[in-house]
Amino acid sequence: MTLTLESITYRYAGTGRASLSDVSLELADGEVVGVVGGNEAGKTTLCLVASGLAPRSIGGTLTGRVLIDGQPTTDRPMHELAANVGICFQNPATQLSQVADTVFEEVAFGPLNLGLARGEVIRRVTESLAAIGITELGERDPRRLSGGQMQLVAVAGLLAMGPRHLVLDEPVAQLDPEGRALVAEALRKLAAAGTGLLITEHDTDLLAGLCSRVVVVDRGKVVASGPAADMLADPRLDDWGVEPPARVRLQRALAAAGVRSELPQ
Amino acid sequence: MTATTGQLSGNRWLWVFGGLIAFAIATVIGVVALGTFDTPIDPDVGYSIPGANSFALVFAIAAIVGIVVYALMEYLQTRRISSITSQFDTRTLVLMPIAIAFNIILGQAVGTALKIPIYLDSIGTILVGALAGPIPGAITGLLSNMLWGYVVPPPFHNDYIGAFAIVAAVIGLLAGIFGRMGWLRPRPNRGLTELAVGAAIAVGLIVGLAYLAFLGYAAILGSTDLTPVPGQGDVFGVPLFTLLGYLALLLVGGTAVGLVLLLVVRRDLTAAYVVVAGVITGIIAAAISAPISANVFGGVTGAGTDFLVLAFRQAGADISAATLGQGLISDPIDKVVTFFVVYLILSAMAVRTKARFPQGEDLVSAEASA
Amino acid sequence: MGRPGPSAYHRLNPLTKLVVALTTTAAAVILGGVFWPLMIVFVFVLVPAVAARVLAQLLRFMLIFSLPIAISALLINVFFYPGGQTVLFGLGPVTATAEGLSFAIEILCRIAAISGAVTLFYLTTKPSELVLDLERRGVPPRLAFVTNASVQTVPAMAERAQQIIAAQRARGLDTEGSAWKRVKGILPIVGPVMLGSISEVEERSMTLEARAFTRPGRRDLLWSPRDTTLERLARYLLLLGLVGVIGAKAAGLV
Repeated sequence: MTLTLESITYRYAGTGRASLSDVSLELADGEVVGVVGGNEAGKTTLCLVASGLAPRSIGGTLTGRVLIDGQPTTDRPMHELAANVGICFQNPATQLSQVADTVFEEVAFGPLNLGLARGEVIRRVTESLAAIGITELGERDPRRLSGGQMQLVAVAGLLAMGPRHLVLDEPVAQLDPEGRALVAEALRKLAAAGTGLLITEHDTDLLAGLCSRVVVVDRGKVVASGPAADMLADPRLDDWGVEPPARVRLQRALAAAGVRSELPQ
Repeated sequence: MTATTGQLSGNRWLWVFGGLIAFAIATVIGVVALGTFDTPIDPDVGYSIPGANSFALVFAIAAIVGIVVYALMEYLQTRRISSITSQFDTRTLVLMPIAIAFNIILGQAVGTALKIPIYLDSIGTILVGALAGPIPGAITGLLSNMLWGYVVPPPFHNDYIGAFAIVAAVIGLLAGIFGRMGWLRPRPNRGLTELAVGAAIAVGLIVGLAYLAFLGYAAILGSTDLTPVPGQGDVFGVPLFTLLGYLALLLVGGTAVGLVLLLVVRRDLTAAYVVVAGVITGIIAAAISAPISANVFGGVTGAGTDFLVLAFRQAGADISAATLGQGLISDPIDKVVTFFVVYLILSAMAVRTKARFPQGEDLVSAEASA
Repeated sequence: MGRPGPSAYHRLNPLTKLVVALTTTAAAVILGGVFWPLMIVFVFVLVPAVAARVLAQLLRFMLIFSLPIAISALLINVFFYPGGQTVLFGLGPVTATAEGLSFAIEILCRIAAISGAVTLFYLTTKPSELVLDLERRGVPPRLAFVTNASVQTVPAMAERAQQIIAAQRARGLDTEGSAWKRVKGILPIVGPVMLGSISEVEERSMTLEARAFTRPGRRDLLWSPRDTTLERLARYLLLLGLVGVIGAKAAGLV
């Protein structure tokens, strides 16, 4: 399934300035794309548009089209899009439905909303928990988990609805290092299993290990796009308010100190 | 749902009419029935005819009947009740549990820890009413009471509050109506004459009620002690209650100060609207809850409001009059404070956030929405 | 398919237990007097409580919640009952009357019935199970959602407030000092908790919509509490009984 953003210009309700200007982006089936940019560059807006929440859920004006497999989604309601593109936010606690006593029920929330039969829901939840690697958390109270675990539950809940693409808006920003590692590992598994991922992040280290392609967004426009390794080592990143991954910084520091280095891949 | 607006509003008047007729019929039935119904408590002397004292309760029930008939008519004609369900978008559904939690936690704290005659259990109800509409407000109130009384386990539990569910529903209804009428819309920088008139009305109402309250307390021999019962606020080791109880004290004083500040500093005329809304809601709430309290509990609820009931009983009033007297003092004060707190919360919310709620546009000042 | 409960009474369908609580409360209020409410308490509260092995807890909670209202009721009615003739004793400026005392006792019995019925219900019923059962019977999913979310949010919000209080205490907030000091300290807590919760509304509603919450129509349920014909019968009998009580009272038989 390909997810395409075609000449997207978006304004939030009540503002004159466009948060995204003529942005085009294509996500091929199974591709993992990273999006970087400074604060207020439009990364979150990009996620909201890609998932359909903008303009359906939050209002605003959208020009351009979002297409799934070449078909425009303009007239499709949010609950239909949810089964095609999932979106995960950075705060793990506010992504709990608040009606589930166990992780299993929490992950079942989405599929049940889609109107699937009980048997099918149970099958999907079990599969989804296994895909993320949290089957053993099934009977736990979702509110008593660590931040990283909660985030995994959120992703599992989205996955169980069967989308071919997941959009993640700074998924590890509010997690401790242990949580980050957990989520990074889960995302790796998902990518390997063929789910397309669109990840916005400040943490370029995370993106370095996951993405095949990186897109740079600055002031609502796409300013650069290319293979991850190239983009993340691009010297212009600082101008765009993006901190390069540790590896790149280390290489630059060594070079500045006049030390020749050859860091292993 | 592609019916033209004209078509829709034409039908809607029909449903409203039907609802009003049902309301009238239900009121007549209620009054007649209560007039002859023999209430279970029956002290021989000094007990007024239950029917006369239960007018407000009858009205409230009849209002509910009217709404149900309205909804039924809309459903029969259009196979859905979208004029009501449109008030329940996702945002509203997410706000309601939060509002219900406000009601229960604050209400429980004030009721258990502090022996002063206010309740503070409607902040959430009025917030939802203002932002989302009369029906969501009413449902928030109703659910709050039902959950508080039957479902939520201690320490947030109140055995007796369930009986007053209809009062809470009416409060939410009123808040929604006031919201829709734009009463909670900020009106800063108004001219002196407007402010003076508004201030006069508001101050007049407050002073009048305060005087009545003072009379009530003066009638109690000796004790005008407002400090909380020691240890009472620490049920199950939750010091939260004691602290929140003190917050109630702060709020009453703070409200008075705050309203004055609003009027004088920001020259915000809405301060007067807040007072009037609070007083009206308080009087109606008192009128409905008095017969419930009198007939079911004999006028006592174990909260600080019992002192007032005591005072009235001492003066020779019967149960119905005493509970009504207590209510007419406590409820307006409580509701003015509550409306003021809700107004503060609304002010702290960004215009963008408010505007996305069903009635959000009615809560935004004219300049901001331009 | 049902979840195991500690006792047979626990395992009853939640609606059954709710009907028991509501009908017995209504009957106690309608019948009035001393005998009937106490009978109701014995048959419909104490006996099931013993069967459910929650008697100790039940009595404890009943006592805690009835005490304030009981004291109020006693004080107000014993001493200030209008038209009380038979004086029991005097206490300074006020006199206690027998009529007042008997009225107060009536109120106490009614309070006991209400408190007992309600306590028995929430001690033996999990809220989420009640909501699931109601949803199975046709309650709209959105109403079920609000109910479930509310039941979860109340303790969660209180916990968050407690955490902030603890944090403030660690920073030297005086929570034991004079009234004014305490009052000054509370505001920095309540404001953030309230406004913080409200600020989460936007994100939470996006989360729900991302999980197809707005899809109209029926939803299947993962599981629901079982119901038996016997229980259905019992519920109808209880409702019938209530109607009978109303009729008897209106006819002046009781």
